[in-house]
Formats: sequence, structure tokens, C-alpha cells
Amino acid sequence: MFELAAEQAGMFFTWPNLGYWGRAMITTLTMAALGCGFGFIFAFLLVYFRTWPLKAMIPVRIILTLYVEVFRRIPFLVLTFLVLFGTRGFGFRFSLFSVACLTILLISTAYIAEIIRAGFESIHPNQWEAAAVLNFGRFKTIFGVIAPQSWPLIIPPAFSYFVMFVKETSLTSQIGALELMSAGKYFNSIGISPLLAFGTCLSLYFALSYPLTLLGHRIEKKLKLRFKGKIVKSHEISLIDRNKSHQVAN
Amino acid sequence: MDYTFQWGVAFSHLPYLLGGALVTLHLTFFGFVIGLLIGLVASVLQAYGGSVLRSLASGYIVFFTNTPSLVTAFFLFFGLPEFGILLSPYECILINLALNAGAFLADVFRGGIASVRQVELEAAEVLGFSLVQKVRYVIVPHISKACYPPISNLYIIFILGSAMASIFGVEELTGRAFNIDSETFRSIEIYSITAGIYVLLTFFANVLLTLVGRYVFRVKARIF
Repeated sequence: MFELAAEQAGMFFTWPNLGYWGRAMITTLTMAALGCGFGFIFAFLLVYFRTWPLKAMIPVRIILTLYVEVFRRIPFLVLTFLVLFGTRGFGFRFSLFSVACLTILLISTAYIAEIIRAGFESIHPNQWEAAAVLNFGRFKTIFGVIAPQSWPLIIPPAFSYFVMFVKETSLTSQIGALELMSAGKYFNSIGISPLLAFGTCLSLYFALSYPLTLLGHRIEKKLKLRFKGKIVKSHEISLIDRNKSHQVAN
Repeated sequence: MDYTFQWGVAFSHLPYLLGGALVTLHLTFFGFVIGLLIGLVASVLQAYGGSVLRSLASGYIVFFTNTPSLVTAFFLFFGLPEFGILLSPYECILINLALNAGAFLADVFRGGIASVRQVELEAAEVLGFSLVQKVRYVIVPHISKACYPPISNLYIIFILGSAMASIFGVEELTGRAFNIDSETFRSIEIYSITAGIYVLLTFFANVLLTLVGRYVFRVKARIF
């Protein structure tokens, strides 16, 4: 039971080992941040084209909807294997780290696109119509009117998805990417007691995820305050700032 | 390099894979139902318990929502034998899924409990409702309506999350895909078909849950 763990604690918590854990932690965080960061950009582009109300855009819309609906429903583990064997099968020799990042990118794009779309849809139709009346183009409507108002509804859930992906990356240890979970497996396989190896792994994941969750709550609270206090003002400001010629009353 | 697809080999194993989908379904269903009970108890303790119970419940919620279910599964799978408890992989994963689901669902129920306003309870009091009537006509409709959409979302996420059971040797959908893959080496085809089955599975679960929500709980939701 605990005797083995207590016995091994001395030889387990040495500086080189701690360095190994630290590097594994940084890899985990980098993977999730890269995947979700680029995922956010791609998701924004996806929604930008998916919500374009033009007849000519219908085929694009169908393809993008299909992408979102399919990739939200594939388990992370299965997609990891699919990306790994898919890229290897066609002769691309990506590193395991980039395979993991690519998988996170594919899934997070679909998830975050759904969040952004929900944010856009929650904006009152009057805002879209007002922008159309002012003869704003697509770009100006989205970036000048719709996006600034929907950030408070997009950022908090997107951030909590990021935290979810920090935890989800543990599955990439299965293809051999060197991150926190594989560090735990490695120490277990060289004979360290599982209580010690996986216990350390658990507490490090907790140490990564809990501060991020708290940060997410803080961001949510702050954005909500801004949203509630100046619901009309904020869009007014964004309009006036970006195009000085269009002064919108109220 | 060229890769020659051989879909025939992969499709000949389709019945075996579909059997795995059944295992996935009952694994997640039982895990989720136990998780619902755990979540209900934890959220009620967190809302109405004494100081010790309250901190215990919130400690449980914070711990399980902030650690990956894969790592807790490893901890249970390799840690419990150290205490002399030997479980089969299926039982171990079931316990792990239930504990994880319980923590996330407790968070959802907390929001539901918060959505019942004090004024409505007072109004029920004024109308002379008994405790049972209050629960039946005021509290339950409120909580179920507020909690149903996030719960059905979580169920879909748990179907996807249960793929990690394959790592411990449970023969569910992904586990069976591993088996066929190591037999035939048609990796891309096998995993594409597996992914397709997951897509269909979660899609039908989604449609079913939306319809149940619409007719039982009066929750308005679109399927797409």
C-alpha cells in the first residue's frame, strides 16, 4: 500500500525527475494552447462564411455545417489515431507533437465554431438590419457591429473549452506524444508505485486546470459586468470608433 | 507514397464493430445514471448540507471537474489493486465514468437549484402547498427545465469520452476497432468506419434526447 510509495518518494522527487515533469507540463499546455488558439481563428473564419446569407454561398454553407456536425461527434481518441495513420499512410512524417496539435485543431475548430455561431445568433436582428441600412459590407458588419457585442457570450465558453482540451490532451499519450500523462506512464513502467506516479500526474493536471478555471470565472464575471452595464453604449462606441462618419443616435 | 484503400476488409467486420457500439451505449448509460444519482446527492449536500458535508461535496466536484478522466481511470485501475481491491476493467471504467459524470452533473444541478427563486417558493407557501406539492409542482419543473439541455449535452460528451475505456481493455466500439486494426492493419479504413459509427450514434442520441425534451420537459431545442 503506502509503504512502497513512501519508500520510493525519496528517489522519485529528485531535480531531474521534477524537470521532466515540468517539461511534460509545458508540452501539455503548449499543445492545448496552439490547437485551441489556431482553432479559434479557423472557427471564426468558418462562422464568417457559414452565416453569410447569400444564395451563392449555399454549397459552402453545407460543407461547413457538415464539417462542424461530424467533427463534434468523433471521439478525440479515434480522431487522434485517424490523423496519425492518415498522415503516415500518405507519406507525411509529422512529429507526434504536431499530430496531437492537428487533432486538437480539427476538433476545437468545430466546437468553437458552434460557440461563436451561438454568440452571433444571440445578437438582436435589429443590429444586423441597422448595419445593412448603413450599407456596411460583410466584413464591417461582423467586425464592427456583431463581434464586439458577442465577445461576452463567446469568450467564457471558449475559454472553458480550452481548459477542457488541456485535460483532453492526456489521450494523446496513447500515440506516444510526450506529455504529462505519458510522463506518469513512464514512471509507472520503470517501477515507481502507481499511487505515486499517477498521483503526481493527477495533482499536476489539477495544478494546470484549476487556476485556468478560476481565471475563466473571473473573465466571465468581468465581461458580464461590461455587457450588462453598457449594452447599448458598447456597440455605439464600436461604431463611432471605427467609422467616424456614421454617428448613430442611441 | 500511395495508400490503397481496401474498404471490403474493413466492412466485413462491421457487425463486430456494431456489437461494440452496444457495449458503449450500455456502459455510458449505466455510468450516466449512477452519475445522475451521485450528482444529485452532491449538489443537494452542497446547497443544504452542514459545513463539513458542504466542503466535502465541493471538494469532490472541484477535483473531478479539474482532472482528466483518463488519469483518474489510470489511478483507479492501477491504484486500487494496491489496496487489495481487484476490479474488472469494465467495472473500473464504470466507476470512473460515474464519478466524473457525477461531478459535472452536480455543477449542472447547482445551476438548476439556483434557478428556483425564493419568491416562487413563498407563493407556493401562500397557496397552501404541502412539501410534496411544492417539490412536485414548483421545484422539479424548474430544475428539470433548466438542467435538461446541459444534461443531454453532457450525455453526448460522455459517449465520446467513453472511448478511453478501450485503453484498459474494455471491448467497446474503440476497443473492438483496436482489435480489428491489429489483426488486419487497415487502420485508416477501420478508424474512419468507427468514427462514422460514433457520428451516427451521437446523432441518433441527440435526436432522441431532443424529442424527449420537447414532449416531456417542454424544452425548446433544435436538432441542428
